[in-house]
Amino acid sequence: MKIRKAVITAAAKSQRRLPLQNLIDRDGQERSVLAILIEEAVKAQIEEIGVVVWPGDEAAYEQVIPEHAARVRFIPQPAPRGYGHAVWCAREFTAGDPFLHLVSDHLYVGAAAGACASRVVEVAEAERCAVSAVQATHESLLTVYGVVGAQRAGAAGDRYRIETVVEKPTPTEAEQRLVVPGMRAGYYLCFFGIHVLTPAIMDILDETVATSTTRVTLSQALAQVAAKERCLALEMNARRYDVGARYGLLTAQLALALSGRDRDEVLTMLVRLLAVQEHVDRV
Amino acid sequence: MSELARIITAADPAARDRALDSYCRSASTAALLDECAALEELRHASPNLYERVRALFFLAAIHRFHLPDRPEAAGNALLPFTGYQHLLGRRYEEAIRAFLAVQRREGPSAPVSSALAAAYRGLAFQTLADQVRRSVRAVRGNQWMFRTGHPGDYALRLRPELLSRGDTALFPVLRETTPVRMDLSHSGWSDIFFLGMDYPEGARVLNISIDLSLHGQAEPAPPVEAWLRVIDQPVLRLASVDLRAEAEITSLAEVFDFARDYLGLLKSAVIASGLIPPGLEGSGQSLADLLARLTGSPGLGIEIVSKVNDIPKGSRLAVSTNLLACLISACMRATSQIPALTGPLEEAARRLVAARAILGEWLGGSGGGWQDSGGVWPGIKLIEGEPAAEGDVEFGVSRGRLLPRHRLFGPDVVKPETRELLQNSLVLVHGGMAQDVGPILEMVTERYLLRSAQEWLGRQEAISLLDQIVAQLRQGDVRALGSLTQRNYDGPIQTIIPWAGNHYTAALIEQVRAEFGSAFWGFWMLGGMAGGGMGFLFDPKVQPRAKQRLAEIMSATRRRLEGGVPFAMEPVVYDFRINEHGSTAELREGARALMPPSYYTLRVPALLRQEQRSLTRSQRAELERFGDACRHEPALRGMTADLIDHLLPQSQDDPGSAPRRLRALLDDLGFDAAHHEKIRAELRAGRIGLSQNRLPVSSRIEDVGPDEIHDARQPLPDRLRRLGEQALADGALAIVSLAGGAGSRWTHGAGVVKALNPFARLAGRHRTFVEVHLAKSRRAARLFGSAPPHIFTTSYLTHAPMAAHLEREANYGYEGPLHLSPGRSVGLRLIPMARDLRFAWEEMPQQQLDVQKQKVIESARASLIQWALGAGEGSDYTDNLPLQCLHPVGHWYEFPNLLRNGVLRDLLAERPGVRHLLLHNIDTLGAEIDPALFGLHLESEAALTVEVIGRWLDDRGGGLARIDGRIRLIEGLALPSEEIEFDLSWYNTGTMWIGIDRTLALFGLTRADLGDEAKVAAGVRALAARMPTYITLKDVKKRWGRGQEDIFPVTQFEKLWGDMSALAEAPCAYAAVPRRRGQQLKEVAQLDSWWRDGSAAWLESVCEFFQP
Repeated sequence: MKIRKAVITAAAKSQRRLPLQNLIDRDGQERSVLAILIEEAVKAQIEEIGVVVWPGDEAAYEQVIPEHAARVRFIPQPAPRGYGHAVWCAREFTAGDPFLHLVSDHLYVGAAAGACASRVVEVAEAERCAVSAVQATHESLLTVYGVVGAQRAGAAGDRYRIETVVEKPTPTEAEQRLVVPGMRAGYYLCFFGIHVLTPAIMDILDETVATSTTRVTLSQALAQVAAKERCLALEMNARRYDVGARYGLLTAQLALALSGRDRDEVLTMLVRLLAVQEHVDRV
Repeated sequence: MSELARIITAADPAARDRALDSYCRSASTAALLDECAALEELRHASPNLYERVRALFFLAAIHRFHLPDRPEAAGNALLPFTGYQHLLGRRYEEAIRAFLAVQRREGPSAPVSSALAAAYRGLAFQTLADQVRRSVRAVRGNQWMFRTGHPGDYALRLRPELLSRGDTALFPVLRETTPVRMDLSHSGWSDIFFLGMDYPEGARVLNISIDLSLHGQAEPAPPVEAWLRVIDQPVLRLASVDLRAEAEITSLAEVFDFARDYLGLLKSAVIASGLIPPGLEGSGQSLADLLARLTGSPGLGIEIVSKVNDIPKGSRLAVSTNLLACLISACMRATSQIPALTGPLEEAARRLVAARAILGEWLGGSGGGWQDSGGVWPGIKLIEGEPAAEGDVEFGVSRGRLLPRHRLFGPDVVKPETRELLQNSLVLVHGGMAQDVGPILEMVTERYLLRSAQEWLGRQEAISLLDQIVAQLRQGDVRALGSLTQRNYDGPIQTIIPWAGNHYTAALIEQVRAEFGSAFWGFWMLGGMAGGGMGFLFDPKVQPRAKQRLAEIMSATRRRLEGGVPFAMEPVVYDFRINEHGSTAELREGARALMPPSYYTLRVPALLRQEQRSLTRSQRAELERFGDACRHEPALRGMTADLIDHLLPQSQDDPGSAPRRLRALLDDLGFDAAHHEKIRAELRAGRIGLSQNRLPVSSRIEDVGPDEIHDARQPLPDRLRRLGEQALADGALAIVSLAGGAGSRWTHGAGVVKALNPFARLAGRHRTFVEVHLAKSRRAARLFGSAPPHIFTTSYLTHAPMAAHLEREANYGYEGPLHLSPGRSVGLRLIPMARDLRFAWEEMPQQQLDVQKQKVIESARASLIQWALGAGEGSDYTDNLPLQCLHPVGHWYEFPNLLRNGVLRDLLAERPGVRHLLLHNIDTLGAEIDPALFGLHLESEAALTVEVIGRWLDDRGGGLARIDGRIRLIEGLALPSEEIEFDLSWYNTGTMWIGIDRTLALFGLTRADLGDEAKVAAGVRALAARMPTYITLKDVKKRWGRGQEDIFPVTQFEKLWGDMSALAEAPCAYAAVPRRRGQQLKEVAQLDSWWRDGSAAWLESVCEFFQP
């Protein structure tokens, strides 16, 4: 199984401006969030990238990724019918191939630039199945993530066989259905925002989109895939940053800066900021 | 391996179900002690909960029922105070070690066994409660709530539907309605958690969800409702419209303060639902922060309102558990823990709600059975215990799971026409009795583990009856079903627990059977005991008439018995309907987003008192909308008048008002206002009070040795017997039974006449205390050829009911003279001093409760201290029924009363040969006319011969002591410290033989003076001045609403007869008597062991009941 395509979803009403925001990346270059994500995919040997956008947003997005224009195709999502529907909109682009999927409101900071997506793709190709990156997350954050119920798989220690997926569960439901053996009490495997999905997801979404009158979630479709075929969760050591959260963009910027070339400069800046504030408070 | 350990650990049910009693009866004392050692070892070594608990109950039973009667255990060892302190502090292991050390040192003895029995029993129940608590906390879906200790960890969010105001300024209202449940099979109490967890195959209940209304008043509807909405203030507002209580909570600490107000149940629901997780208790965090996370916006809060639709407390229909479940369900829907915001619940959600309701009951310090939340489920269902399987938190700990399985009976199992027939046959009632089911549930658990032969057979029969009831339901034969529920009540239920039935219920059944004959199909007991919620099955043709007649019969029977039986309310008949939906919810939006009408009578007056501009946007909008609804909606017609009733004060001064009646009563009863003011002034000045009751610490208080008193525990010499018999034949003795008290411990301050309480079934019928004492006198009359005159002393509280009762019962056929001696003194209760409350609760040793119950009681005590300060310490207590505000002034006055009211004068005129009195408390059932003891008294030539018994653990309240060299009785109140009591071997039974002439001499009187009122009054006054006055706290019940009760501590004063023994000129003798003769029945909870230890059977043997 070779992964050559990626789908980035960026059509949600609240997220449409996020991929356009500029940040300084680890190399000290000013880039848009979308460009950083595309580079994450490119480093994972992805050749074609489909970006699902709100109709009419294409031009604005194109402007912030001039260097990747050749490998990016914009896919409009004609109606706001949910995250699962956004992925489904890319069915013609994926054309029956497995694909890497990233969300546009998260940035990832690992050991090296692009290491997160590469790791997921590498495991998916080796295991020849769908893989979702996950991270052990405290139950107080369950309200913002899809969560997997899983059993440990293999000797590597970072892989789990997914049994079920629940979108934004309450801690009550999580405790009843999503406890993973070996995990600390109150921690669950929440989606990291990076998946390698097999064509089965599009078959299931086809059916759901055709029959559902409510919003189509990706988690529900993933749960159905997991019931049909082997799906793995891969626990990541890296960090994800939700740029859409309060101070999310600032936090992501700091994380990128502190893990890159300008680390000393930014640290000095922070210390100075603290010292000045301290002085002002005393006066 | 020991025999008893083998029974406990046996895998084979035939061996495991063997009764303890059958082994113990034939075992020697040495063998029993060896078995105790083996059981002690087993309970420490066994990892199995069931084995540990059963070993503990075996040990408790051996020490309570089998060792004390053995001659080898006749010693009278003193109990160590440290052991008692451990026991009060629930440190049972330490207590057991302390008591066993005494047993090793001094050999077996009844006092030590009494203490060991209490400690083992306490530890057994503590182990069970701990296990249930652990299981409740360990249930998946509950654990996270105990981890959440900071708003930052809080994971619940309110559903967006509840936050959307739409076009109006009103937030939507979520309304949950839930039926209550009735238990068709009764189940033999098998829904007690421990039974379900230990014997899942025997834990089975047929449970029906029902809607209710008071007969003829409205259509049956779900009896409990919860209303929830967002408010635009950062507070948690709770209200109970039926209890008319509300609170605006601004701190987390207040949420966990359960007994601060009447909103404890709502608070339990808020916590158990996870809305405010239990892990936040004591966190010091901000409630507003938590609410901001919950609602997503700072400045918003939640309002939760509960409503019980006219169902009185104690209905035995699990109203409070289902209300708790209803509130929990609403909170869990609102926070997406239950997926469906509206409509009925799915099975997974029902189970979750039931698990949280169990948690809520534990948090609130209450406790129901596992079937109680049955109202959450629809229709008719079989609830069964389930064996624990691998993966369950209970696996390896108990045989069954904490939560049972619910099997719904659809129309294919119980046909719609059968349901209809059941509805048309059953008359559901609340008999009105006030009840405490707690002791019954403990008895059931204990008996189950002891496998006493009769009870175990009863349980097996109850299980088989359940199968038959299910079969009859399937067949649609409700008549046969009625005969089965009646058989269940007559047989297994009362075999397992005789106290489940009572005289009132027996009287109702008898009258109904007599009136309706074969159209009465059977009686059906609901819940833990009869007298409250009950069912009567009739031929549908007579059901309408039966409803009317039952109301009349219950009311008349209540009036006949209310002197001696505590009733909380007037009996009622219900209309009911099977609820086929279970708990359901609806969302009221826009113009419909109003709370229930009765909520506004509570809330609107407070809002109207506020300045207009300080009202929030929602509050203004709500008032406008409510005003509009009052003007135009038929359902709210009449609200204006209700509101005015609640807005404007009502006159308290009409002639029928309580304060007026109290004043009239005080005038009638010769209340001494000057003395009362003196007491009040001294109390307020701190000259009298609980701590001032005590003797100076410099007093020398020593124990009295067995050789310093007469030992009448063994047969006395024939010489004394003959002397007594002769005197009895000569008519020298009269009996005085003290019956002026209300038995405040017997009914927890209900204010009924204890003497008239039909407390137990003896010789085939329920008997009152009065009847028992007369039956003993009847036997004495036959044995000694002369019926002794019998005097019952009475008080303002007991005189009229006693006189009426004895007249109705024709003195129970007693052939001798029978007199009532009416009290001549009465006191008016006072609001207690806060310092006395603190002294009682903080300085004196107190029984600690289970950790959660202790929190509740401490919170209640803090509120009561605030009540005393707010109401005015030392003020007159007048906020209750007039009779509940008065108090008798102590039994010292009983003898003077005989002088002042002329009863003794008349008796002596009629029977000049009477020279002695046998005086005893009404609850000292074993005090019979023993000629040998009478002979002892005669020979001793004492004014007073006092009967004492060896002190057991529960014998608190003073006893016999040598004080500064003189042997005398001392009240517990007067001991300088609690510890001293543990150095005193003998406990005062309150029974005395009184030489009339010698005692009159103490008053400076002779027989001839009894006609001289002034001289008598002067004599009494002079002696009274020498007697100490004690200040005591008594619990008094205040009833309100529908069967609601509050208990208040009030201050009263008393003088006690035992202090006569302190008079230097009073010649006194003391005799140690057998326990069964001297034991007093102070609390209902004592009845069961009194019954089981053979005391009841012995009492029957010394009674000759009247056979009309």
